[in-house]
Amino acid sequence: MTQPIASGCASVGHTGLTRPVLREIASLLKKLAKTGECDAIDLRSLPMSNEDRYELETALGRGEVHANVMVAGDSEVWETFYPGVWWVRHFGANHEIASETILITDVPDILKSDAEDIKRAAVRLDADLIEKEQGTEKTSDRENAHE
Amino acid sequence: MELLEFARGPAMNVAMTVFIFGVVWRLVALLALPYRGIKSRPREGVTPEREIFSGFRGVVRRMWPYPAFVKAALFSTLNGYVFHIGLAIIVFGFGPHILFFKNLFGISWANLPNNLVYAVGVLTLGSLVAALVHRLVDPPKRLISTFNDYFSWFVTFAPVVTGLLASAHLGARYETLLAVHILSIALFLIWFPFGKLMHSFLFAFSRGVTGIRMKHRGAQI
Amino acid sequence: MSDDAPLGDMLAKRGVSRRAFLKYAAYTASIMALPATSTNVIAQALATAKRQSVIWLSFQECTGCTESLTRSFSPTLEDLIFDFISLDYHHTLQAVSGDAAENARHAAMVENKGKYIVVVDGSVPIKDDGVYSTIAGMTNLDMLNETVKDAFAVVSVGTCAAFGGIPHAKPNPTGAVAISEIIKDKPLINISGCPPIPEAITGTLSYILSFGKIPELDHLGRPKAFFGETIHDRCYRRPFYERGMFAKSFDDEGARNGWCLYELGCKGPVAYNACATLKWNGGTSFPIQSGHGCLGCSEPDFWDMGGFYKPLSTSLDGLGKTAAIAAAAGAVIGTGSALLARRHQENYLKDLADKDEEI
Repeated sequence: MTQPIASGCASVGHTGLTRPVLREIASLLKKLAKTGECDAIDLRSLPMSNEDRYELETALGRGEVHANVMVAGDSEVWETFYPGVWWVRHFGANHEIASETILITDVPDILKSDAEDIKRAAVRLDADLIEKEQGTEKTSDRENAHE
Repeated sequence: MELLEFARGPAMNVAMTVFIFGVVWRLVALLALPYRGIKSRPREGVTPEREIFSGFRGVVRRMWPYPAFVKAALFSTLNGYVFHIGLAIIVFGFGPHILFFKNLFGISWANLPNNLVYAVGVLTLGSLVAALVHRLVDPPKRLISTFNDYFSWFVTFAPVVTGLLASAHLGARYETLLAVHILSIALFLIWFPFGKLMHSFLFAFSRGVTGIRMKHRGAQI
Repeated sequence: MSDDAPLGDMLAKRGVSRRAFLKYAAYTASIMALPATSTNVIAQALATAKRQSVIWLSFQECTGCTESLTRSFSPTLEDLIFDFISLDYHHTLQAVSGDAAENARHAAMVENKGKYIVVVDGSVPIKDDGVYSTIAGMTNLDMLNETVKDAFAVVSVGTCAAFGGIPHAKPNPTGAVAISEIIKDKPLINISGCPPIPEAITGTLSYILSFGKIPELDHLGRPKAFFGETIHDRCYRRPFYERGMFAKSFDDEGARNGWCLYELGCKGPVAYNACATLKWNGGTSFPIQSGHGCLGCSEPDFWDMGGFYKPLSTSLDGLGKTAAIAAAAGAVIGTGSALLARRHQENYLKDLADKDEEI
């Protein structure tokens, strides 16, 4: 699988930034475990090269969960090999990476269903069910009519 | 941007014009003076050719003090070489400076590594400060020093300081630092023909004439 | 016309969930160097914000700024800004024209009084009462003053609007000026660049939408998030500059090895913009990475900085006629003073000789 080239990064070789970033992730994960406090690292804000990012991705690995979020372009969200450390990759135009964040949390907010959306969905499902039932009645009326 | 534009534009134009005008004026005014010759008889065996050769010899001999004066003049001489050579390395070896000359004269040459120039810059800075301190502390020098001496020192020191600050991006936004550095060069160029800095042209003539005169009297310079 | 419904409801009606806000918020926080943990706050603020009315005035401009902003083909993350703002007037993009267009502008001004943002690209000519650029029979100057009256804020997009730009370059025949020289009593943001990086425009608008206020500005009125550092400060070729390794001409060995472009006129050290970090075309590249020096296009008077290929350390004009005249003048004065000295000497010697005779 070809690695996506991140917007804004240059392929200039390893800069050595991977190790300190990993250490920061480790300390944030410890904090999460102890106090439940979530945190985030915006990868775009760091002067990492493409090679650094591959190194980080390889080091963190993949866990049990992988999700594709299809809204305003694609996004990939996966839990790394370390539960509590999530990788969120948002794609923009031309499938280029628009933003990339490491989230230290139990579950990223973008995977949760929003309260407002749930309210709307409840209304929508009710309406759809009614429509389906009405539709079935009409069909059975027609079937009965034909018989 | 306005200050930088002014520094690179009108300020440098005026400065270079005054510099050229002033230097040509002073040199022509000096060299067009009547040659009266030396009325006394030359020492036995001294020919005009020997006198002229002694003139050139004078330029070179005075690069180091006479033995009797070495101890007293050692600091001034050595320190002087440090900042003169330092200034030459900075002015003619730093990439952006070479570009400045290339823009004016069309010729260029290989540049030195930036970090080397920065190191020389710091050394030159220290050397110039030492020269000032020496001038203030040494009683005869202090006695005979005038505004001309101190101001000539200042217009030489300012470009070195402002150049180092600009290279280090220290103290203000870069475009301001660069503008101030270029303005300090403008000040240097404007003052040059009218103060002690003219020694850069005149030293050759002074030493040369002394050499000729000494040889005429039979003394070896 | 802009809806009164919050953006969250508006997008939901089109089947787009709140996730879009989280994604867009993460993107905005990232490009504006806001903390990654502020994503939720921004998302929430955006979802509850009302669609922002924007009136876009185009004056003496090349339309490059509008082009920069509208460079997406498929609905993407970056396009969301066009859902968040209601572009109520843009005479290049909008479908209507003539009176209908001007009526749309007036209607938007009335309906959103005190709340709409005026985005301006292009400079305004003021010479000869501003006749050199008119739209619908109205001078740019009048249209600007009329539209800005009830605006919440003014955003000058592009170097022409921010600093005068190309029309303002010598000899400036139309008397073109920056918007900031005309509008003095409204919050004004300059997003300079020729054109500006699209994210600089959208990021700033998103910030205003999310936080309801102007972001922190530098001394030229530009958002510090995008214009706080020079290209030079973030350039990946900086190590070559520090070591004095410069490309001497285009496509020479130094150039092909990616050395510093200072000698080829790069204005990076004095250009404040985000090109070295955000880059262009969604982070693909920027001028220096493509082998050409920075033009300094986000700075005032970048057209009059001596030439795109003239290094920063050179003087703007070379030695020209002036130098020759100066040398000639010096020679004349020098000769004159030497002649005076000679005459003085002759007179003195003559006096001496006369005195000797007397004796």
